[in-house]
Amino acid sequence: MPIAVEPKILDLERVVARTLPNGLRVRLYPDSLVPTVSYYTFFRVGSRNERPGLTGISHLFEHMMFNGSQRYGPKEFDRILEANGGTSNAYTSNDVTVYYDDFAAEALPTVIDLESDRVRSLRLDEETLEQERAVVKEERRLRTDNSTFGLMEEQLEGLVYQAHPYRWPVIGWMDDIDRIAREDCLSYFRTYYAPSNAALYVAGDIDPEVAMRQIEEAYGDIPQGPAVPPVPAGEPEQRGERRAEVRYPAQAAAVVVGFRGPPACHPDAAALDVLQACLAVGEGSRLRRRLVQQEVAVSASIGWAWRIDPGVFMLFLELAPGASRKRAEEALFRELDRVATRGVQKGEVERARRLLRSSVLHELATRSGVAHALGQAELLLGDWRHATKALEQYREVGPPDVRRVAEAYLAPRSRNVVWLEPESSP
Amino acid sequence: MSLALPDLHEARLPNGATVVVARRPGVPLAAARLFVRAGSALDPRGRLGLAHLVSAVARRGAGRRSGESIDALVESLGADLGGDAEEDATVFGLSAPVDVLSRLLGVLVDVVASPAFPHAEFERLRRRELASLAHDSDEPGTLADRAIVSSAYGDHPYGHAVEGRARDLSRMRRPDALAFHRRWYGPERATLVVVGPMDPEVAMEDARPRLERWRNALSESPAEVPAPAPSARRVVVVNKPDATQTQVRIADVAIPRSSPDYFPAVVANAVLGGGFTSRLVEAIRVNRGLSYGVRSRFGMSRAGGLFTFSSFTKNETAGDLVEVALDEMRRFCEMGPTAEEVNRAASYLGGLFPLSLETHEQWAERLCDVRILGYGLEQVLEYRERVRAVTAEEVTSVARRHLPVDRGVVLAVGPAKGLAPQLERFGPVSVVSAHSVL
Repeated sequence: MPIAVEPKILDLERVVARTLPNGLRVRLYPDSLVPTVSYYTFFRVGSRNERPGLTGISHLFEHMMFNGSQRYGPKEFDRILEANGGTSNAYTSNDVTVYYDDFAAEALPTVIDLESDRVRSLRLDEETLEQERAVVKEERRLRTDNSTFGLMEEQLEGLVYQAHPYRWPVIGWMDDIDRIAREDCLSYFRTYYAPSNAALYVAGDIDPEVAMRQIEEAYGDIPQGPAVPPVPAGEPEQRGERRAEVRYPAQAAAVVVGFRGPPACHPDAAALDVLQACLAVGEGSRLRRRLVQQEVAVSASIGWAWRIDPGVFMLFLELAPGASRKRAEEALFRELDRVATRGVQKGEVERARRLLRSSVLHELATRSGVAHALGQAELLLGDWRHATKALEQYREVGPPDVRRVAEAYLAPRSRNVVWLEPESSP
Repeated sequence: MSLALPDLHEARLPNGATVVVARRPGVPLAAARLFVRAGSALDPRGRLGLAHLVSAVARRGAGRRSGESIDALVESLGADLGGDAEEDATVFGLSAPVDVLSRLLGVLVDVVASPAFPHAEFERLRRRELASLAHDSDEPGTLADRAIVSSAYGDHPYGHAVEGRARDLSRMRRPDALAFHRRWYGPERATLVVVGPMDPEVAMEDARPRLERWRNALSESPAEVPAPAPSARRVVVVNKPDATQTQVRIADVAIPRSSPDYFPAVVANAVLGGGFTSRLVEAIRVNRGLSYGVRSRFGMSRAGGLFTFSSFTKNETAGDLVEVALDEMRRFCEMGPTAEEVNRAASYLGGLFPLSLETHEQWAERLCDVRILGYGLEQVLEYRERVRAVTAEEVTSVARRHLPVDRGVVLAVGPAKGLAPQLERFGPVSVVSAHSVL
């Protein structure tokens, strides 16, 4: 049974959208179910915009945004926000740097003031740069240097990309984190943190006309920024399998296998979502049944995140201590080959669509999820109106599409394999 | 402003089971939870991890359905079904598109009331749990979280990670699961909670006959878990010779959820180690750049949770990190918070609280929690007023009684060779292997 069209999953008619003369895009989504507001600022810059020698600057800079601006001193941002019943955080990815605040609805004018002030007049002093550098180095030690998965993922991206900036990690190489100077940060701020490179997504208990007026007043006189330098997005065709290994004193082996997929704006991105769900979402998925339930692997999962440029379709298996690596690898490749040659059943695609729909609904269940979905759609698909476009795309995907994308993107010659090889401590 | 309660319908069935249905607007996904008051605190000696394993295997065949057919039915409808043990209960959750809820509530009840525990599935999941423990031990943070539970609680029924111990998992057999289920899973210890934008009467009528058919009159009630006791200061180093970063925990037994100290403790933690502006974050991350992540929390359980400080830093500064954390806690106990800090914490907690009750899932969890942990729903509805009413004196008093300044466990996961000398000034040091924590 096809899933009926559900326009009300996200009522996009409610969105009030405007672009200020300085280029700042503002999208407001009123929803008074809960007396809170989610306030997202997307800057269209991530590790994709970096260059060797300055890798990690996007992420380090994200840390600097919490250290004071012209009218608010160091540490005041969070103090004022918390005193107003709010909290804030941020993340940096390959494509984007996102700041988000969740707060009690009455604090909106305060948040607009705080957020616009740091875009207008960030303070960047040497002392806080040194502190944040130390903090970021601890973050790298946590997520990469002392994490088996982190080490493997870093190797994998280096295999999948030879030329594209996706080849270096978002957090940056340790040496580069050490090297980034205050002048680099200043130039980075001027280029990438201008209103013309930013967008606001505000969802929650707001009066959109009042909020829009307050935003225009607060941000309106911040000058438009320069044109952002283009990203060298080219990548040579992969003409054969690439391999790497990570030797580490781990208890058990694991493997990640990655393939370069399409960019988010390509229709195949949604077909790969369906393929992912057929292969590794839920206990009834192929890899769970044939690898995990057959005890070839302890766990099987797939990461496939949409990106501006072609992203990585990444399969991850954990093995039991002592389990055969050869058997696991062969079984995995056999499953990929089976999908590419024989395709999947109609029922599997229907199951995948329903699971994907539920996962979209989960995301849209919170104001924060709605604001983020609007921002992601505009960043990756060019328009916030595409926030639920994937649901329409999933309806269009049939078994032949799933087979086709498996064949096109997951071919052995395009494969990149990283094994975690346990070794005893020296 | 108080929080609005969803439209609640509650019934007690003749066999003793409770059903709670809450209607509220929102996305068309319903959240159902069926919990049994039988958690990891009831793991038998020598079988630590049994409640957790029972919850996993229950999903693999129940009623007339095999595990595979449960997978097929649940997932073909876009739903998700699974269970896990906590200390005081085992909770099974179902998330389903609201239009197929009635087709799946019966499966949820079957999984809890009449699991088959197929031998092959029991053995497979037991081996998988053992292998997962091996992978856990490769993650220093996970290892630290496991180790602090057993170190701080000692022999208490809460004194092991829910996932259990490797040597006990090796010994478990299917009859252990059958016996645990027969002994502790019964309708009078079970509650079903359903939250979503559905007709509550229809949901009630869907759930009632299926739950009513559950007959397992339990011959005994478990004794209430005794209150755990605080412990003397000691230092435990879990040796990971190759780590370049040390995971640190400082913990001791604090309060049960039902304690009158609950709201002062929540405010105390917000000031000390809750948000980004808390004292521990300022001292460790902002002022010294010692770590990326710093936090503290009062863990909540029925008999007594742990207060836990968590952070990590490069190996060379582990001793500095512990010293700063203990100094901040000591200063907090001696001087108490400022009025401004208490005020800010109350605004922070009160403002954000509605975000913890934004989704059907969150409401379902909360409606289970009040029953599992034994506190009144009015504490949820009046949360803002209760945190607002907390005084600086109450915060100081709670801090003095419950922060592990001179007692409790200081635990570090990292290379013992460099860590032991740094940490011996905080108490007697024992070094254990990572393997011994599993």
